Amino acid sequence: MDKILELNNVTKLYGSGSVITRALDGISFAVEKGEFVAIMGASGSGKSTLLNVISTIDRVSSGEILLDGQNLCACAERELSAFRRDKLGFIFQDYNLLDALTVEENIVLPLNLMRKPLDYTRRELTRVATALGIESELKKFPYELSGGQRQRTACARALITEPSVILADEPTGALDSKNSKLLMSTFELMNGSLGATILMVTHDAEVGSYAGRVLFLKDGKLFSEAVRGGRTRKEMYAEIISVTTALGGCNCVD
Amino acid sequence: MLTKLAARNVKRQIGNYLIYFITVSLTVALMFAINNVIFEEQLLARANNNDELKTALIAITVIVSLIVAFVLGYATSFMLKLRKREFGTYLTLGMTRGNILSLFLLESLMLCVVALGVGIALGLAFYQGVMAMVTNIMDIEYSFAAYSARGLLLTIGLVAGIFALSCVTSALYLKRVSIFKLLHADKKSEKGVRFPALWLAVALVSFVAIAVSIVMMHSGVSDGIKNNGANGGNIMIVVATLMFALAVIFFHIGLSKSVVNLMLHSEKYKSRGTNAFTLRKLSGKLSANSVLAGALAFLLAFAIIGANMSFTQQISSENILENDYPFDISAELDCEAPSVPFDTARAEIEKHAPIESVTEYGVYESGNSYMHGFTKWTGAHFEGLNDSFMTVSDFNALYGQKGFTPLADDGYTVISFDDYVTPSLFEDAPLELGGKTYSCIGTVKCPLLGYYFFIVVVPDECAQFLTRELNGYAVTLATSRYDATALRDALSYERETGFGTYRACDYSMREYARLSMNASNAVFIVSALYLAFVFVFLAMAILALKTLSGISDDKAGYETLFRLGADRREQSRTLFRQTFAFFFLPFFVPLLMSIPAGFICHSVMNLAGLSVAAGKVIWAAAGIALTITAVYCLYFAVTYLIAKRNLVVG
Repeated sequence: MDKILELNNVTKLYGSGSVITRALDGISFAVEKGEFVAIMGASGSGKSTLLNVISTIDRVSSGEILLDGQNLCACAERELSAFRRDKLGFIFQDYNLLDALTVEENIVLPLNLMRKPLDYTRRELTRVATALGIESELKKFPYELSGGQRQRTACARALITEPSVILADEPTGALDSKNSKLLMSTFELMNGSLGATILMVTHDAEVGSYAGRVLFLKDGKLFSEAVRGGRTRKEMYAEIISVTTALGGCNCVD
Repeated sequence: MLTKLAARNVKRQIGNYLIYFITVSLTVALMFAINNVIFEEQLLARANNNDELKTALIAITVIVSLIVAFVLGYATSFMLKLRKREFGTYLTLGMTRGNILSLFLLESLMLCVVALGVGIALGLAFYQGVMAMVTNIMDIEYSFAAYSARGLLLTIGLVAGIFALSCVTSALYLKRVSIFKLLHADKKSEKGVRFPALWLAVALVSFVAIAVSIVMMHSGVSDGIKNNGANGGNIMIVVATLMFALAVIFFHIGLSKSVVNLMLHSEKYKSRGTNAFTLRKLSGKLSANSVLAGALAFLLAFAIIGANMSFTQQISSENILENDYPFDISAELDCEAPSVPFDTARAEIEKHAPIESVTEYGVYESGNSYMHGFTKWTGAHFEGLNDSFMTVSDFNALYGQKGFTPLADDGYTVISFDDYVTPSLFEDAPLELGGKTYSCIGTVKCPLLGYYFFIVVVPDECAQFLTRELNGYAVTLATSRYDATALRDALSYERETGFGTYRACDYSMREYARLSMNASNAVFIVSALYLAFVFVFLAMAILALKTLSGISDDKAGYETLFRLGADRREQSRTLFRQTFAFFFLPFFVPLLMSIPAGFICHSVMNLAGLSVAAGKVIWAAAGIALTITAVYCLYFAVTYLIAKRNLVVG
């Protein structure tokens, strides 16, 4: 299969002088096109730092990150903005929807930033809104939606540009268990039917069990890996729990 | 402990407080300068209505202080709201509301004291600038103006009062607000305005009303000048002013609630870049602040118009002087018992300025109002008026010096300064004197040296059939600058009236009139500019604080734009458009008002027969517009840069 994202010996240091924190310590892994990968680890293990450097919001101290073969660490700030706009989709714990915009305006914002023609934008909007079942909510404002609907809106916004990778940072963090399950079904749909490549950070073992592969981080290093393969979600969940126990946590890796 | 925390907070919040600080400093500087003008006795002594001017200036400065107090109270509550989460946290940690109020007031006090110091330091220079302008207007030599302790005390007193009033606003807010409200800032988004098309109609109707009110104003002012306030010219000006004020307010309310909302209906425009984001942000902000935009536009429009009018007043008075006082000194004295005989006066005049020439003439009366009967100055209101006459040779000797063509003596000529007087009035007005009949051979527009509607100039032979009532003297001096105040004092005498005794002077002196007029004009211009600039500063401060108080709510939006791929340039452009539209909406129309204001003032000058100076009015209007725009741009730049520093990511 095609490697879409590749990290080679990525290190991120914070601080200066004698007080240096090694947030990421020589991380290397690859994500293939159409994969659904979860990153888990205890608090301070480097999950969010990893997502920040992949999303180009933060710079690495050493190593390289390749997306579609392009080395992100060698790009100028302006190129990185274009890269985020064209190649990445984002889903955040607190949705990061713009309160002033309607659902529809929020979803098409990335296409507007890409200056896509109006006809194309309308077509794509219909496609993702129908796929995620939010066609009837398009004219509403985010504050008029439930948490689950808001997160589906965020998913639609992440999907609309057909990005190389969708980065999800604790997407179920603000949802109750019912809406968490619904969102994960949406992720499965995005990954299965719509072919989206997803890299998700989570602390929830159940949420992680939806992924095809789970990477475990400890102290900024890649500690372990669990691959679902042909196993059921329950079996995957059991493996996650055993790894997190080995990591020194409970079923909730935080 | 609180003092330490307050000092740290001021340091930390300096970016947010910058606008507040600039406004307080500039307002204090203006106040200090004006308060020193109020106590500049030498200046006011030159104005012949000294006491009224002083009272007017004090009234203006107190009113301005009240407005400043209101606006700064508003600004202070903004600063409070900007930091409500921080104060909410303090309350949660166990601080009392009293502690927080003390903390906030301590911070404001520190800022106010520094701003007072900076303002007074700036004011020291401002005052010299104001005095340089005043002395220039008064045409007297500028010398370093002494500062007044009373002016300083008044400034400190007013600033203390302003601070106290704005403290009350903060105290009231902090007393009422709940911790929940402080911690959970209102995150509601404004929904679109209902009926934007209707609001657009309101804006369009108001725009037409603005245009109509300007035409009415022009017509009212023209009527006023042509008919000396008769024919309802003044009523029309009042109606036009009220209509203009309402129209400006409603135009801005309509515009705020319509244009952006209607633009949101354009899918194509919205689909480009961050346009949807900009329009939605603006829509909410403009709708919520539409009344404020109207009120600010109203203040700014009147600031600009007022400043234009004050300069027109100065330019016109320079020229009015030429018309009202064609000679350096003139007098028309009673033949029988002159108050101060001319020989005595001549000796006094020569003490102050050398006399170049004296032209003597006579003013005659027929004892009836036959000639007035052919004019509008007849009937019940004009009883007791007698016709006044002058001989052709006296006219030619007197007015020949001023370049008037000599009159013929084969009939009579009517001279007046009023355009109303035309030969057609006297077509059927034969004048019989000494058995001979004279007919009107023309009229001449020229300034008269006494209080007449008109004078009939008759052939010299007629004088013997008329009674010489007044001896006229027109004096030309070798120099136009002399101590006119002292001379006027020397030529004055005590006159008894039913209301008491006062000092009267029958000698009309151009230099004295010039000094009085200039002093009044200087005070008028300084007051108008003072009000104009205070209004501009306050309008700017409100807009800037409104913009900056929204920063915390906008922060997440710009963060999201950054993550979605909007680079620094795109974010900066978005912020610029958002801030620019909000800032300039209440400013654009008032700025445009410079054009009709300049045009009306120009027209007024032409109607008043001052066409030579009318061009200066246009330059004054352009200068005022440029200066106010510069102040506006300064505030806009500071606000935009602070917002950019806080919002733009990447």
